[in-house]
Amino acid sequence: MTNSLALRLGPRSITTIAATSLVGIVAFGWPLIAAPTSSVVAHATDAPWLFAIVIPLLLAVVVSSFTDGGMDAKAIALLGVLAAVVAVLRPLGGGTAGLEPIWVVLVLGGRALGPGFGFVLGAVALFSSALLTGGVGPWLPFQMLGAAWVGLGAGLLPRATGRPELVLLAAYGAAASFAYGLLLNLWFWPFVANLPAALAFTPGAPIVENLLSWVRFTLLTSLGYDIPRAVLTVTLILIAGAPILNALRRVSRRAVFDPQPTFVPAP
Amino acid sequence: MTGSLFHLPRWLHPAAWWIWALGLATAASRTTNPLLLALVIAVAALVVSARKPDAPWGRSFKFFLRLGVVVIVIRVGVQLIFGAAFGTTVLLDLPGVTSPSWLAGVRLGGDITFESLLLAFYDGLRLATILICIGAANSLVSPSRLLKSVPAALYEFGVSVVVAMTFTPQLVADVDRVRTARRLRGRPTTGVRAIAGAAMPVFEGALEKSVTLAAAMDSRGYGRRGTIRAAQRRMNSALLLIGLVAACIGTYALIAAGSPMALGLPMLIVGVAVCITSITWSARTAVRTRYRPDPWALPENLVAGAGIMIAISFLAASWVSMPGLDTPSNPPTWPALPLLPLLGLLIATTPALTAPELPRTKVAQPRSIEVAA
Amino acid sequence: MINFEHVSITYPGATEPVLAGVNLQIPAGELVLVVGRTGSGKTTLLRAINGLVPHFTGGTLTGRILVDGRDTATNPPRELADLVGMVPQDPMSGFVADTVEEELAYGMECLGLAADVMRRRVEETLDLLGLADLRNRPLLSLSAGQRQRVAIGSVLTSHPKVLVLDEPTSALDPGAAEDVLAALQRLVHDLNVTVVMAEHRLERVVQYADRIVIVPGDGESIISGTPSEMMGNSPIAPPVVELGRLAGWQPLPLTVRDARRAAGPLRELLIGHAAPLRIIKGERDATPLTITEKLTVRYGDVAALRNVSITITRGEIVALMGRNGAGKSTLLSTMVGLKPTSAGIVRTNGKDPREIKGPELVHSVGLVPQDPGDLLEASTVAGECRSSDHDASVEPGTTRALLALLAPEVMDGVHPRDLSEGQRLLLALAIVLAARPPLLLLDEPTRGLDYPTKARLVKVLRELAATGHGIVLATHDVELAAEVATRVIVLAEGEVVADGPTQAVVLASPMFAPQVAKILAPEDWLTVSEVRTAMIEQVG
Repeated sequence: MTNSLALRLGPRSITTIAATSLVGIVAFGWPLIAAPTSSVVAHATDAPWLFAIVIPLLLAVVVSSFTDGGMDAKAIALLGVLAAVVAVLRPLGGGTAGLEPIWVVLVLGGRALGPGFGFVLGAVALFSSALLTGGVGPWLPFQMLGAAWVGLGAGLLPRATGRPELVLLAAYGAAASFAYGLLLNLWFWPFVANLPAALAFTPGAPIVENLLSWVRFTLLTSLGYDIPRAVLTVTLILIAGAPILNALRRVSRRAVFDPQPTFVPAP
Repeated sequence: MTGSLFHLPRWLHPAAWWIWALGLATAASRTTNPLLLALVIAVAALVVSARKPDAPWGRSFKFFLRLGVVVIVIRVGVQLIFGAAFGTTVLLDLPGVTSPSWLAGVRLGGDITFESLLLAFYDGLRLATILICIGAANSLVSPSRLLKSVPAALYEFGVSVVVAMTFTPQLVADVDRVRTARRLRGRPTTGVRAIAGAAMPVFEGALEKSVTLAAAMDSRGYGRRGTIRAAQRRMNSALLLIGLVAACIGTYALIAAGSPMALGLPMLIVGVAVCITSITWSARTAVRTRYRPDPWALPENLVAGAGIMIAISFLAASWVSMPGLDTPSNPPTWPALPLLPLLGLLIATTPALTAPELPRTKVAQPRSIEVAA
Repeated sequence: MINFEHVSITYPGATEPVLAGVNLQIPAGELVLVVGRTGSGKTTLLRAINGLVPHFTGGTLTGRILVDGRDTATNPPRELADLVGMVPQDPMSGFVADTVEEELAYGMECLGLAADVMRRRVEETLDLLGLADLRNRPLLSLSAGQRQRVAIGSVLTSHPKVLVLDEPTSALDPGAAEDVLAALQRLVHDLNVTVVMAEHRLERVVQYADRIVIVPGDGESIISGTPSEMMGNSPIAPPVVELGRLAGWQPLPLTVRDARRAAGPLRELLIGHAAPLRIIKGERDATPLTITEKLTVRYGDVAALRNVSITITRGEIVALMGRNGAGKSTLLSTMVGLKPTSAGIVRTNGKDPREIKGPELVHSVGLVPQDPGDLLEASTVAGECRSSDHDASVEPGTTRALLALLAPEVMDGVHPRDLSEGQRLLLALAIVLAARPPLLLLDEPTRGLDYPTKARLVKVLRELAATGHGIVLATHDVELAAEVATRVIVLAEGEVVADGPTQAVVLASPMFAPQVAKILAPEDWLTVSEVRTAMIEQVG
């Protein structure tokens, strides 16, 4: 069974994804990696807003780098349909202990349709479900980038089939959805002012100290969301992963991404 | 204010509402004065109630109001549990617990002072106000109109989001139909198993529809583009590369120690701007046009202008460190009402009048579609 | 306008071509009807016209297809979008925008037309197809007929010279179908558009066609000609043609009007022969299978059914007819308890169907829904059959055996979604019949079915009725109703407006009368086979 890639990764799109991801890592991780004397630390409360503007612009560049030569109607339509599936699934777990079944779609979608598709799917899916529920806010760019990484990573997993593949995907799903929770903690953490020093982001403090504070902050606040989310993702992938993957692969065969029409003049 | 434009009901350009709402949010981010923040919320609520469409997304303002309350409660709660108390007015003396040393000995509970709670409340209120301003934009702007005005470079992205938005109500209806159809096979129609059983056929059906949809889009000319000269293409690619490299350098400079200020933020901004230029130029080869685009006319200028004015008034007040923008909580003082921000707030209410009324057409109500045909 | 020159098409991975050696010339301004079994390559032929095959699907095209002088080899579908308008089988699945007006403009936006041109063409098209009242409506809220007209309108705004339609009337009631066909005819006559359309329901479309193309399938070469040439010896033909052939009329009439003018001698011949009364054969069991009394069902403030009182007994085949949205599906759903009643009572097998649970329901009533796929959840046909045996708690293998009788060609390992529409229907029917419910309900069973599959269905239904099943069909297919129904119920706006023996009801209605009845009126003949039997008696 050959897996056709719904979106071809060319040098152009690889470069833009790489650059966007670099900026994205800083956007999420600056409280932990920025030098204490750097200018971003000096403007700690404005930094999240800055990145909330920069990231969507860079994501736009990524999407547009695909469209320039690669994004055909099939990919667009499939993207829209899968994003609709996410939009339906998302309110199901809304608020209840982080039980978001959407990770299954993002992980399996990225796996079956390739890393490029996974990346764009993550961004498009989170954006359209936010539009539908009226949930557009400063958190959205960070969610989009996080979900895009989850989809991208799923597409880059090593080859496997059958049971091992499901186990691999379940392990990845657990790790990815857990990591997503940790990352999203990071972006608003500097905001939460007046935490006790042991939990708070302290601009200018040594990196190790901030890292420990962040770990403690996560343990105390969001672990109750992140663990159930990871457990749900693993359970769903193990139970429903195989049929969903089959359905995605069926449609990718049926759609014939990258068809190679040949024309032979009449003899 | 003359011109029939104001009497002619129409939809305001989505970008105008967003500029106005972001202006309000920017203003709110510059103050902790509870009176000013309350006034910002009041302005948002007033304009939303005057110009909100009767559609599902129109109700999201209430959701954001509730979210705002939650944010304040959490913020005050965090203060109650973890907060280091300061000030002199002790309200309550909770038994304090010091967490184990691996959690760095965080002290939980303990004295609760009025001053510290007030600070937490102000801080929470500010974040809540910013969220409520964004909620105002969410409820004023029709998502499909917003998508109609995405720039050409993001056209494909816009199309897939439109597809997602039209598919979602269909999917909900399909799941419902297939779930009830399980009854015809003597299977249960309620519970998790029923929904899970119905989900797979609907999912597969939806995937198949995507192929039909793609064929229809292809047949209707989706993705037509003109020719682009090789030189122009190389130029665009080069620009993109330069922009990306610049953005990365700028970002690095932001977090690196001792890098000159000029290398950080300006470099990042220039890099991103160059990237945007490149994709905008690439998109010029597309032959697409827009059907009845939302015009940008006087009302749009007035609404967007009102947003910019309130942002400027607060930023200016903060620049000159005008008293009253920040309300000290230790010792508690009655908040003042500085004049310049008040003026800005007054201007920010004008969209309730200057934005045109909405046309009286029935808006999509996807949930009421009947499958009785 | 359209030239196929020695065209053969092979899909990727296939060894045999779907179409081989096709030579076809279609002049401008003709309305061409493409006829053929399911799976014969008809859709491939249509999709080759705008290059979807092979640009979209992959595969090899030998020979050359020229549309208005443009070669599809060098012009992918998007470059032909201004020339060929393609209307897919299910209009809803081809919509890109969310409101009528936006959908009409979408194609023009892709072509990059100027704003004022787009505005003008949208207005023209709204008027041309009678859609002006619907311009701001969300596409989801439209009826099937309205959706079909919007789908046609959405390709017309690009002013194509060729319009290609795949089964445009299959989901429509007779009235809506006529509206759509009239609109197409107007395009051909007034705007010189070339229309190529595939359709199974010949009785609806033959009279509009200037040319008929028969795609026989199995690699045999296609044939084309004028309708009267082609209908003279076509294996499939509408009743008007079959009657003409039976009576030996020359030239062969294609319209009811022409046939009526030729039918004088036949009417005289049949004098003294009464059309057979449709009587209920088999078990005469007076106990009703289902009863409704003053049944009312409301959706919000719309009443889908008002005061419906009917009784269905064993051995009956009842055709439930009426416009799209008249309440047919609602009535069927209420009989199995899918929908709650607002007032009145419904009793199936003596019980309120909403109270019957699980397996007991399956054993008392079966419903094949409009989309039979709604019943299918497994990933193979065999798996579906096994779970059906389990659901109905019957001997393992029962469903598979039934399926083998209904559709012997269906293989075990196939995914149900890869079956043709007809095969899917028969699979759903086998599942429903596994529990031997005395009452069988079918919602639009012949949508998209070709003639052979329809004939098979008719045979199955007759046998079931003969063994004492009661059957209710909701259908738009007047010929099917005339063929099998012992009784016809007509619904309009949720009310029963006619209920009686088939002859009495359909003869009184111009909309629901079959072609034979229209030709031989005022005699009460309904089908060609009835007439044939009478003529054989006459001769013999």
